[in-house]
Amino acid sequence: MTVMPLLIISYVLIAIFVVTFIYKTIKMAKLPIHLRWELAPVPHEKGKSHYGGSYLEEYDWWTKKREKSLIDEAVYMGKEIFLLKGVFEHNKKLWYLSFPFHFGMYVLTGAAVLTFIFAVLPSSLLSSEGLIVGSVIEILAAIGFIIGIVGTIGLLIRRLFDPNLKNYTSGSAIFNLIFLLALFVTGVLSIINAPDFYGEMTQYAQSLIFANTSGVLSGIVAVHCLITLLFLAYLPFTKMLHFLAKYFTYHEVRWNDSPMAGNKKMQQEVIDLLNQKVTWAAPHLKADGEKNWVDIATEEKK
Amino acid sequence: MKKNIKIEDISKYKDEILSPVEVADLVPLPSPYDKIHEEPTWKEIKDDQKERMVCNLDGVIALNLPHPENEEEEKKYVEQFVSGLKKLLTKENNWTFLQPLLLSIEYCVGCQTCNDACPIFTGSGRNEIYRPTYRSEVFRRLVKKYAKPGGKILSKFSNGDIELNWATISRLYELSYRCTLCRRCAQTCPMAVDNGLITHELRKVFSQELGWAAEEVHDKGTVLQLEVGSSTGMNPLAVKDNMEFVDEDTSEELGIDIKTPWDVKDAEILLIHNAGEIISWPENPAAFAIILNAAGISWTLSSEEPSYDGVNYGLWYDDFQLAKIALKHIETAKRLNVKKIVVGECGHAHKALITVADRILTDDENNVPRESCLTLLEEIVFSGKIEFDPSKNDFPVTLHDPCNISRNLGIVEPQRRILRYLCPQFREMDPKGAENYCCGGGSGFAIMNRNNFSDWRSSVSSRLKFKQILDAFSDHPGPEVNKYLCSPCSNCKGELRDLLEYYDVKEKSGIIYGGLVELIVNAMVDIKEPFIKWEEDF
Repeated sequence: MTVMPLLIISYVLIAIFVVTFIYKTIKMAKLPIHLRWELAPVPHEKGKSHYGGSYLEEYDWWTKKREKSLIDEAVYMGKEIFLLKGVFEHNKKLWYLSFPFHFGMYVLTGAAVLTFIFAVLPSSLLSSEGLIVGSVIEILAAIGFIIGIVGTIGLLIRRLFDPNLKNYTSGSAIFNLIFLLALFVTGVLSIINAPDFYGEMTQYAQSLIFANTSGVLSGIVAVHCLITLLFLAYLPFTKMLHFLAKYFTYHEVRWNDSPMAGNKKMQQEVIDLLNQKVTWAAPHLKADGEKNWVDIATEEKK
Repeated sequence: MKKNIKIEDISKYKDEILSPVEVADLVPLPSPYDKIHEEPTWKEIKDDQKERMVCNLDGVIALNLPHPENEEEEKKYVEQFVSGLKKLLTKENNWTFLQPLLLSIEYCVGCQTCNDACPIFTGSGRNEIYRPTYRSEVFRRLVKKYAKPGGKILSKFSNGDIELNWATISRLYELSYRCTLCRRCAQTCPMAVDNGLITHELRKVFSQELGWAAEEVHDKGTVLQLEVGSSTGMNPLAVKDNMEFVDEDTSEELGIDIKTPWDVKDAEILLIHNAGEIISWPENPAAFAIILNAAGISWTLSSEEPSYDGVNYGLWYDDFQLAKIALKHIETAKRLNVKKIVVGECGHAHKALITVADRILTDDENNVPRESCLTLLEEIVFSGKIEFDPSKNDFPVTLHDPCNISRNLGIVEPQRRILRYLCPQFREMDPKGAENYCCGGGSGFAIMNRNNFSDWRSSVSSRLKFKQILDAFSDHPGPEVNKYLCSPCSNCKGELRDLLEYYDVKEKSGIIYGGLVELIVNAMVDIKEPFIKWEEDF
């Protein structure tokens, strides 16, 4: 089939993804500063994080120079994102399914990025290196699809039959897994049935980048691309956006141990927040929508 | 009720107990506490109590919630609850925890990785309603269905359904007091979702909107502290009298002159104790006085309300009560013109004043530096100003890590360095430090004793801690060897006191409990008499 109709749908779906993703990111980032709620271990605590220690262990800590290690923080996040460290340490049975499920997606994302990169390199498809690259990407994609299928089916079974998970699994969670399974399965079918999977994907990528409507895709590859893009557009509306939320839950909550003293920007932000009118109705607060936080917190002193 | 509890069951079978605690299900303890038939008998909830108070969760009544008089009243509470949920989601009313709350509501993937981290859930034998995600999932569904636009349409497919009625609210109220807010579950969550925070926010809806809170933490807690000066009921005169008595008594006993300084302007340190120490464990403030005086530190206590009491129960249930008390502590320090505030051996006072309230101190002028007594004690012990003889502490010692000090503030090593130096037979519990188990009395539980709640605390919420303590002393299980459980937190000590009494542990296993400063003083060369009294009732 010609690429034209798919191309139009693709632009719409990609636009939905981009706009929603940016909107959600801004929304999370613009949430107000909160009271301190850090939780050990905080990995940027140099020389202390391995046992859960913090700068508050120092005598007269406010007079000492903070020793932070952003490398330790990055290493922690790397292990958490790519190896699912938390699940491995605390829920190993689930890790055997969750890891292939996630890693399959990482491999596929990597393969997609490589496809787009080589799609814009001049004559890459014609050179002998291009053929090797194509084979490597196709193998990567096949690995990604297969381990993705294994993980997804395993997770579906666990979610449907494990009493620990069943009670806490909504219809949408099952739907999401089935959606992803469809993506993985059509991917495998595309590799098996399309005459030149990598060639078609490269052609589709070029069409997207250069708005070239003249290409042709085999039916199964077109279906796979459509499912992938539908999933992409749907993703920011779901809990699967946790890969983005995780940045904020870790960096802004669990590891946010910045003291207030000396931080003028934070102080001003909190002053503004404290000046907001409050409407809590409990009798001991006597909030009537006219008093702000400061009024209530200092009431008895006036 | 049945065992296979579903999320939506919380709104069904209004007056029935949803999921009772079965003693036979509890995690087994080591010998000689391993016989289920020898477990202490729980106080019975009588029919007339059930007629007066709601008892529809687990057969335990912690909060004495009266039954509504009619359906109108039930409806009123349901409406208030929805109103509170909506306020909880606004910046104006809840900027204090909005970001962590919304992220925890939206991005839990239900993987249940947190489950085994909860000492209450596992200690109870995995009672479904104590699962850290159960309460959170109920809350999440209620928020999505009743506090968000279009929630009623989406709830069945997208979020999972639930009904909001009197049964839901009354059970959820009790259930918000079945989690110690220890945040051990949050530590294991791959998404950094915080079920402890959700419990905290749930308590806030009840307190800040409906005016419901545990009497011990509100009326007899923050309200009393703000009115009289201390949740113990001591006014400034009483606290000074009591401390004077402690000074005299200890001076006489040890043959040295001990004087606690009060309201010393320009002192270097304002020390704020949990005032409960002065009444229940006077040896603790006495030991502080001995150490600080011996080290030549310039320090003072304050007799100003409420700054002779470091407790701040607002931390557990109400942001406004938290702020009121914290601001008063800071004001006192400013008036005395001290260089810093040192928080005594009280875990939640550490967290409230050192970190959580930090962000309401909006100018550097008022941001009086605050630090833990543990770092100060480490500085003193290793300064060479006091001579120690560790052989005076040559008995088995283990350390309980208060959650608010280790997990929440990351203060793990100073207390250990002291214990390794001064206690030749110091041994760790497992797990330890920031991964410790809560004592079971966190978030106000240690001071809550109504009906059969104290039975629940000792049998269920403290169970894994008890097992840990016994395991740490497994090389000397019997009473013939005296053993010391060091707990540098008043709240934890209150819980451990009740736990050890409940199971008759001093008699059966020879374990007593106390703070860190008592061990330090006991090892001082200049203190000739033993400071730790094994024969006294703890």
